Amino acid sequence: MLLITCPFCGPRNESEFVYGGPVKPPRPDPATRDDAEWTEWLTHVPNPVGPVEEQWWHARGCGTWLTIWRDTRSHDIVGAPHDGG
Amino acid sequence: MSHDVTITPLETQALFDLRGPATVLRDWAGDSLPAFPQRPNTGSSNGRATLMFLGPDHWILRADLAREDAFEAALRPVAAPPEISIVRISDTLAFFRIIGPEAGEILSIACPLDLHPRCFGHDAASFTAAFGIKALVIRCEGGFELAVDRSYLPMMTECLTAAAG
Amino acid sequence: MAGKRLAKGGRIDHDRPLRFTFNGRAYSGLAGDTLASALLANGLRLTARSFKYHRPRGIVGAGVEEPSALVELTGADAAGNLQATTVPLTDGLEARSVNCWPSPAFDLGAVAQLAGRFIPAGFYYKTFKWPNWQLYAPAIRRAAGLAAAPRTPPAEGRYEARYGHCDLLIAGAGPAGLMAAQVAARAGLRVMIVDEGTEPGGALLSRRLQIAGAPALQWVEEAVAELAALPDVIHLQQATVWACREHNYLMATERAPERPGLMERSWRIRAGHVITATGAMERAIPFGNNDRPGVMLASAVQSYVNRYAVLPGRRAVIFANNNSAYAVAADLLAAGGQVVAIIDSRADVPEAARALVPQLTVRAGHVVISAHGARALRGVRIAPLAGGPEETLACDLLAVSGGWNPAVHLWSQSRSTLRYDEALAAFLPDRPAQAFSAAGAAAGAFALEDALRSGAEVAARIANVAVPEIPDAQDLPYAIAPHWRVEAARGKAFLDLQNDVTVDDVHLALREGYSDVELVKRYTTAGMGIDQGKTGNVNVIGTVALARGLEPGAVGTTTFRAPWTPVSFGAIAGMRDGQLALPWRHTPVTQWNLDRGAVMYEAGARWRRPGYFPRPGETMQEAVDRECRAVRFGVGVYDGSPLGKFELKGRCVGRFLDFLYSNIMSSLTPGNGRYGLMLSDDGLIMDDGVCFRLDAGRWMISTSTGHAEAIHSHMEEQLQMRCPGWNVLITPVTSQWTNATICGPQARAVMEALGTDIDLSPEAFPFMSLRDGHVAGLPARVVRVSFTGELSFEVNVAPRHMRELWDRVMEAGADFGILPVGSEASHVLRVEKGFLSLGHEVDGTVDAHDLGMGWVMSRKKDDYLGKRAVAIRRAGSHGGAGRRELVGVLPEPDCPIPEGAPLTPGGRREATEGFVTACVWSVVQERWVGLALLENGHARQGETAYVRLKGGAVIPVRVSAPCHYDPDGQRLRS
Repeated sequence: MLLITCPFCGPRNESEFVYGGPVKPPRPDPATRDDAEWTEWLTHVPNPVGPVEEQWWHARGCGTWLTIWRDTRSHDIVGAPHDGG
Repeated sequence: MSHDVTITPLETQALFDLRGPATVLRDWAGDSLPAFPQRPNTGSSNGRATLMFLGPDHWILRADLAREDAFEAALRPVAAPPEISIVRISDTLAFFRIIGPEAGEILSIACPLDLHPRCFGHDAASFTAAFGIKALVIRCEGGFELAVDRSYLPMMTECLTAAAG
Repeated sequence: MAGKRLAKGGRIDHDRPLRFTFNGRAYSGLAGDTLASALLANGLRLTARSFKYHRPRGIVGAGVEEPSALVELTGADAAGNLQATTVPLTDGLEARSVNCWPSPAFDLGAVAQLAGRFIPAGFYYKTFKWPNWQLYAPAIRRAAGLAAAPRTPPAEGRYEARYGHCDLLIAGAGPAGLMAAQVAARAGLRVMIVDEGTEPGGALLSRRLQIAGAPALQWVEEAVAELAALPDVIHLQQATVWACREHNYLMATERAPERPGLMERSWRIRAGHVITATGAMERAIPFGNNDRPGVMLASAVQSYVNRYAVLPGRRAVIFANNNSAYAVAADLLAAGGQVVAIIDSRADVPEAARALVPQLTVRAGHVVISAHGARALRGVRIAPLAGGPEETLACDLLAVSGGWNPAVHLWSQSRSTLRYDEALAAFLPDRPAQAFSAAGAAAGAFALEDALRSGAEVAARIANVAVPEIPDAQDLPYAIAPHWRVEAARGKAFLDLQNDVTVDDVHLALREGYSDVELVKRYTTAGMGIDQGKTGNVNVIGTVALARGLEPGAVGTTTFRAPWTPVSFGAIAGMRDGQLALPWRHTPVTQWNLDRGAVMYEAGARWRRPGYFPRPGETMQEAVDRECRAVRFGVGVYDGSPLGKFELKGRCVGRFLDFLYSNIMSSLTPGNGRYGLMLSDDGLIMDDGVCFRLDAGRWMISTSTGHAEAIHSHMEEQLQMRCPGWNVLITPVTSQWTNATICGPQARAVMEALGTDIDLSPEAFPFMSLRDGHVAGLPARVVRVSFTGELSFEVNVAPRHMRELWDRVMEAGADFGILPVGSEASHVLRVEKGFLSLGHEVDGTVDAHDLGMGWVMSRKKDDYLGKRAVAIRRAGSHGGAGRRELVGVLPEPDCPIPEGAPLTPGGRREATEGFVTACVWSVVQERWVGLALLENGHARQGETAYVRLKGGAVIPVRVSAPCHYDPDGQRLRS
């Protein structure tokens, strides 16, 4: 039972949230991508061993969609890795 | 009941779902609303109604059902500017009042939320889960109020009765 | 008769006898006894038979570490596989041994002992593999079986599960835990202290020690009283913290909560910080026949003597490799017991230890190599460790101490690490992985004053206060020279008594290549089962270390998993039992439906809806046909309340809906609506529904019943994560609107009879439009949609008016023969029309083109969710060929086809080319009609396809258009 910090409500039990999957790169403008690039964006979902940015919906709470960085090895909620680090 | 608690279902409450920036809502509603609470998951009352701050740009106004039409007239949902949304939702939630020395015990069976007075003060109100269902929990004099989607009213009645032992 | 009750002393009430039965015979114990102490006080030795070899077994421990004395309770307290050492004695208790039939003394299964040398580790895996394990499992389980689950739930009482929150959770109310609780609570922290014993005090209950010049238990009493007076302290006794999950989320179960009718209560606790003050457990020393009844842990002997006033034997020998057993010897002597000798494997015994029992013979540098006696201990064979002459000592009790293992289970469950400490020969808490600390014996502070200090220091650090003065407490310092197993042992030397795992089994596992300690555990089963190897695991590690020439720290431990001790399912489930396990959602008409004998179905999202309304003597088919005919030829009404409904407001709603739906919604004018599909971005159909524009800035959409929350989530995700700054505000109003949907050729007449201020003419109120007004005097929003293909008015009112509306509809409709319609009839009506149903035709693989709904895929919009994915798929190598497409099917000859039946080429036994999604008796066609997804189905209309049923029967079906009735839709627009 993770303890997830909602920006509005503060720390709440995981059971109040709905998992929304890992964060993908922003949805590209389809006009600027060929089929291969679009398929790559559509089907490539981050699945690292280690910290992953993922989104959760505070369904049984304030309704906020939020993101956390969760270490898939430990379930620890960690800070965002530094760019390039 | 082995717990020292009284559980009472409440009649339908007048409820309005208010969304959008507080400033625009305040300008639109004028003095018909209580003061906008500043801290998340708290409420403020003015004797006629309570305004609860339950999400980002999201408030629920609560009053007796007898005031529903008056608030509808004052808030003019259909005419409200596009930046804000005012929707009557009085029938969506069924309320229970749980009062007594062991009201907190019943809530601890129902809700994962920490309801210690240090965390959930006299003006606290928040959505959380009760028996796995989305629920609004409000601290009140002598205990708590709990509201769930109306379709769960029979289920919540059974659960609370069972919890009270 | 080996054991006996002492005349006085202990934590028992000598004046309160309790009657109980064991294996059918009546005995008497005292209030404060455990079943184990009462059995020992009655001189019982042989209490069980072992799991695999059915060897005689007795009581070894005094608490949760007990590996051997397993019992089953019968009667009112029925429960299986309990440790006799953890069962508080109650008046009338009925217990019996497990693993033996008819009794432990005369056990028919004991013939397994004769075959014992043929049942090594892995025997079952190796032997019973042909043709498969399942063939043998029942017989083996019966032979090796532990107690069965009780046949019936307890007649009375209930379980409860609740949440708890604290700044500091302390597991264990021994000296360290109580000290920590005192410090933290005085500093104002919210403290929970949870202890599994029947009373607080931990190891102090079993020892004769002083704190601050008074008996230690007096200090315990005062500490507990102080904590009880503080408002923010919760103290639970007979409660076990049995699991730690992520982020300091812990499970605890109270076995004897003080509330009438409550059997057990479980807690899910979120703790800011956790202190494991869980104490330590003594380990055994494996030697030959070390499982004989009468061989006990030294600490257990001490506990029986001091806490339960029971002398477990008349003539005791003590076998130890550390100091703690010397205090046991002293306590035995003080209680009037006889101690023959202390056999100490250490060549050099510390003087401080000897000084506790100066009158006793200490055989330093000696070991016990085997125990003697058939069903009970009669003597031990000892020899010098270095080799030399053996000798036999007659005794009926051997108290063994192989050293102490801190109870690191909870610590380790939190993923906090361990290190092996050479000096203590034990695994100690090392680095915490969460907000965890260890204190007292659980942290290796074995001597009393050290334990008190450790508790105080840890709590002071957490509470950020100064460490208070530690009360004076004298205790023998701990010293050990590890002795993992007796090399010269003769006979089976058990490491794990519960699973009958010997030193030889571990050696076999290592020879066969299972060198990792986790593999050794799985291959031998050492450390599994009820006790989870609490007395034996570290000896297994030591045995592996010796055999592989490693340090125990290099071998490491197996993973510690929850639960620490067995937990009843009832406590975990709490009240989620029976009706409460899967509650239903109700509409205001639910009771009306039930009163009319409706057969209720689950309709998704926990809603329950009427399936059909059978009349007396009517079959289901007859009832469904009657309801269908009412809608097709007269009028029917159904409760459509569970459909998901959302109100959307803002400047960007049109643009937003155009992005969500595959067709264009922004062009809708106020009062009008459109059917649409929502796709996910991979082009598959998420949901279908209707979308209405209320006015310039307000919209209302509906979703299918089961997807309301998913679509809410989807919309908010798009808004919050992908479209920041868009002016769209969403309010869920599913429960603000309930509806009676009046449908059939006579629907307009019923509406007129109800009375309404809305102009009902098709010109003023056409299909797919919406009007606000009044119906039967009630404020209503009427929507002209149709899920049946007939003229329909969906009359939406607030739930507070729904029951009145429903009654008025039934009254007004009576003249027209109105009938309530269940979901079975709705299904027939939509199949006749070829309307989609999520879960039937929309199965997560089809797209709109497959369904013949290419028109819903807007070509005008540059982008919307799923557009690009569908385009890519359609432009792929097959160009849409070979896809399964929606068609109608007409069985020839006319007969029903089971839903889901496969279609194969020519009806041959080949790969399927589709399946029948639905097949119903059509009241308009007066024949069976169906829908199917069929490869290239659109091009195959008029051809024959073949259903192949299980067993090989083939039904030819004529392929048709999906719509079996009124293809132009004149009726629904009427």
